[in-house]
Amino acid sequence: MNAPIKLTEAEQALLLLGSDGEASGILRERGLPTRRVEAWHYTDLRNLLKSIPTGSQLDTGDVDRLLSSYQRLTHATRLPFVDGKYIADAADETPNGVLVAGENAPNLTPAADDDAIGLIGAITGAKGVSIAIKDGVKLDKPLGLAQVIASSSFCSTAHTINVGKGAHVSFIERHLSGDGITGQGNAITSLSVGEGAEVLWAIVQQHGNQCTHLGQLNVDLAADARLTILILNCGGKLVRQEVHVKSNGENSDLEILGVNLVGDKTHVDVTTSLLHNVPNTNAEETFRNVITGSGHGVFQGQIRVAQPAQKTDAQMACNTLLLSDEAEFSAKPELEIFADDVICAHGATVTDIDDEHLFYMRARGIGETDARALLIKAFVDEIFDDLEDETFKGALVGLIDDWLDRNG
Amino acid sequence: MPAVQETIDAVKEIDVDKYKYGFSTDIDSDTTPKGLSEDTIRMISGKKVEPEWMLKWRLEAYRRWLTMEEPTWARVEYPKIDFQDIHYYSAPKNFEDGPKSLDEVDPELLRTYEKLGIPLKEQEILAGVRKAGDPSSLDDDGGDNVYKSGRVAVDAIFDSVSVVTTFKAELAKAGVIFCPISEAIREHPELVQKYLASVVPVTDNYYATLNSAVFTDGSFVYVPEGVRCPMELSTYFRINEMNTGQFERTLIIAEKGSYVSYLEGCTAPQRDENQLHAAVVELVAMEDAEIKYSTVQNWYPGDETGKGGIYNFVTKRGNCQGDNSKISWTQVETGSAITWKYPSCILRGDGSQGEFYSIAVSNGAQQVDSGTKMLHLGKNTKSRIISKGISAGRSQNTYRGQVNVHRKATDARNFTQCDSLLIGDQCGAHTVPYIEAKNSSAQLEHEATTSKISDDQLFYCLQRGIPEEEAIALIVNGFVKEVIQKLPMEFAVEAQKLIGISLEGSVG
Repeated sequence: MNAPIKLTEAEQALLLLGSDGEASGILRERGLPTRRVEAWHYTDLRNLLKSIPTGSQLDTGDVDRLLSSYQRLTHATRLPFVDGKYIADAADETPNGVLVAGENAPNLTPAADDDAIGLIGAITGAKGVSIAIKDGVKLDKPLGLAQVIASSSFCSTAHTINVGKGAHVSFIERHLSGDGITGQGNAITSLSVGEGAEVLWAIVQQHGNQCTHLGQLNVDLAADARLTILILNCGGKLVRQEVHVKSNGENSDLEILGVNLVGDKTHVDVTTSLLHNVPNTNAEETFRNVITGSGHGVFQGQIRVAQPAQKTDAQMACNTLLLSDEAEFSAKPELEIFADDVICAHGATVTDIDDEHLFYMRARGIGETDARALLIKAFVDEIFDDLEDETFKGALVGLIDDWLDRNG
Repeated sequence: MPAVQETIDAVKEIDVDKYKYGFSTDIDSDTTPKGLSEDTIRMISGKKVEPEWMLKWRLEAYRRWLTMEEPTWARVEYPKIDFQDIHYYSAPKNFEDGPKSLDEVDPELLRTYEKLGIPLKEQEILAGVRKAGDPSSLDDDGGDNVYKSGRVAVDAIFDSVSVVTTFKAELAKAGVIFCPISEAIREHPELVQKYLASVVPVTDNYYATLNSAVFTDGSFVYVPEGVRCPMELSTYFRINEMNTGQFERTLIIAEKGSYVSYLEGCTAPQRDENQLHAAVVELVAMEDAEIKYSTVQNWYPGDETGKGGIYNFVTKRGNCQGDNSKISWTQVETGSAITWKYPSCILRGDGSQGEFYSIAVSNGAQQVDSGTKMLHLGKNTKSRIISKGISAGRSQNTYRGQVNVHRKATDARNFTQCDSLLIGDQCGAHTVPYIEAKNSSAQLEHEATTSKISDDQLFYCLQRGIPEEEAIALIVNGFVKEVIQKLPMEFAVEAQKLIGISLEGSVG
């Protein structure tokens, strides 16, 4: 047996946040994961998570004023959360066929030994909303889950989303906070996509420069379902976004598109695992990362193809621009394949801006700074090219421009 | 895409139950009792007539080892090894004092070499048929071919001792030292003390520490400044005795501007119980030096059900210490029940280069977890990784590699490609690359697709009326050939015999 570990300040604070259950016991025994835990190899949570904020929760009276300070990304039906609490009074009216219930408190159990986000959610009794989309419902406006951290508080949320058969719906999961706020969000979402449904799930993380975001999206994909997951990380101090997708139905189609903008003194980790359990499923994953200052970007992508999952087509690409000599990027694109008739591929590149590209633009009279900015912008904007909602696309590009202005 | 019949047949050919090196040799052996303790280590050290410092070094390693835990991160599964159930030293009796000439070599042993398929020219010399340098009927190509007249120096290691080293005198004329490491410890202590454990520290990992404590023999190569080693150097490892562990230690030093090519081959008899092979190989390349290290690893893989076979837990690492030095690893892995092996390069010198070419074939119940590490420390360092994995039967084949670019390693370049092919639906192929960049001028490329290589080539072939499948086979075959061509000729033949597989339809 291992000797009992000495709990860090953050671990002790986490234990104080929750009731003393099984999950607390696990934390007490193992602590938060260090780099020795393979899934956290590049994000040593135990050392990076210095403290847990315990600031008071915001008075709900300020919600309207608070929300109005963040520009809408598109015409969405807004479901607001402040400091982890669902503010039903401030929510837009939900369209027909959509059932939203607050006070959703799923019985969370960590998915595996290394599931620290699930563990934190379980310890802190994460609550959120449950959303059910009825079969065949087609929404013309996305549902926006706007999660604002307004004070230095710890916000533990867990949402349960069920999309019925043949439904067409978009979601925008947005994480917001102002600079200087030392809040922390632990956001878990379980998404179940019904047969033949078409879903867009966008995660837009635009926290302030002192905020910590630990996010986890767990997806269950039924037969003939189509899911696009879109990720834009352009904020936060310590960020880990996990995406775990199980393709459990034949002919399902998954696309993950991500842009991670990692600024000075920030750590952004995107970890995905795609599990193909049945034959004939597709997955395509594309990430573009830009890292400046002393930022550290991490990408861990795992594709697992189980033995019955013949004819799987899974592709993964991760391209990174390192713009500073202090910047750091670590990648682990993993393939685990147990079926023989599959096409799986991954590619990863890390480089600076191509001198020839720069030369081409400079030869046309564009100054070096502008040329670099244009090339970086082109490198990341491209990811969102196929987005149908033009307003949303414009807003995302706007966020990227803002970030580049601030960090470029 | 699934493998074509031709490939399936070819893999069957090298099926585990047809392991042709599975014989054991009936040689009178001097084997120490089972078990590991400080006394065992004192005894090994005594048998090798080692100086006091060496014994001290070993004991320190042993004490350290006792505090370490077996690593579990690799994707391999095996029952816990009982380190007390292993013989740590076994030597053919006749050679206890070391062979004085080839005539003293036990004919039984020479028959062993014959069965091992040691290249004919080497065998001739080993068997004493022909003296080194004499013309041979096998010399069909003249010119400056280094292979002419069997000019490959061989160090043959049987269980725990080196039984014979050929061409020593001729090599000495060029200033090259090529001898068993046990002899080097006695004759060249200053070199051994300076370089031993300089690349793989004693405390590096569980098996390397164990090796440091109990290593029995291995090869020592020293190539002085400016010397191009006049012939290929080669070692054959053979585990013969039952329940014996082989712990060899190889140390190769290439001084400024020198060049050496080193070949390694290994086999073991077919036995029901597992045998442990925990080796440490260290390479040091000084300024402008080049070391080429090639391995054809063909330890007994166990039978189809996974019974028996060698546990091959090896630490291999090269240090490109000088500027513009180069270390190249080429390996063809077909044997062993479990392979745990990551030949690595530390690219310390500015402009140094590391290469890793690997073909790993697993079948039956074999488990392979192999790959490389390229650590870019110097400026303008380059590395290239080409890895091909083929899994069949119920085997698991994992590529695990790391490319790390340090803060100060400006303009580092890496290209990595690892493809794998699955034959049958009971096996697994896995890729676990670690890519770590801390310098913005680094250019790292990692890919595991066939499309990127072949798109243009494929188009070219299709345009000329070659059907797609054939075209892919042609292209990938050509590609594997490139890897095999990295092997010195003497080994390339052997490797081709072992593989003979087309790698079409590669899976990332």
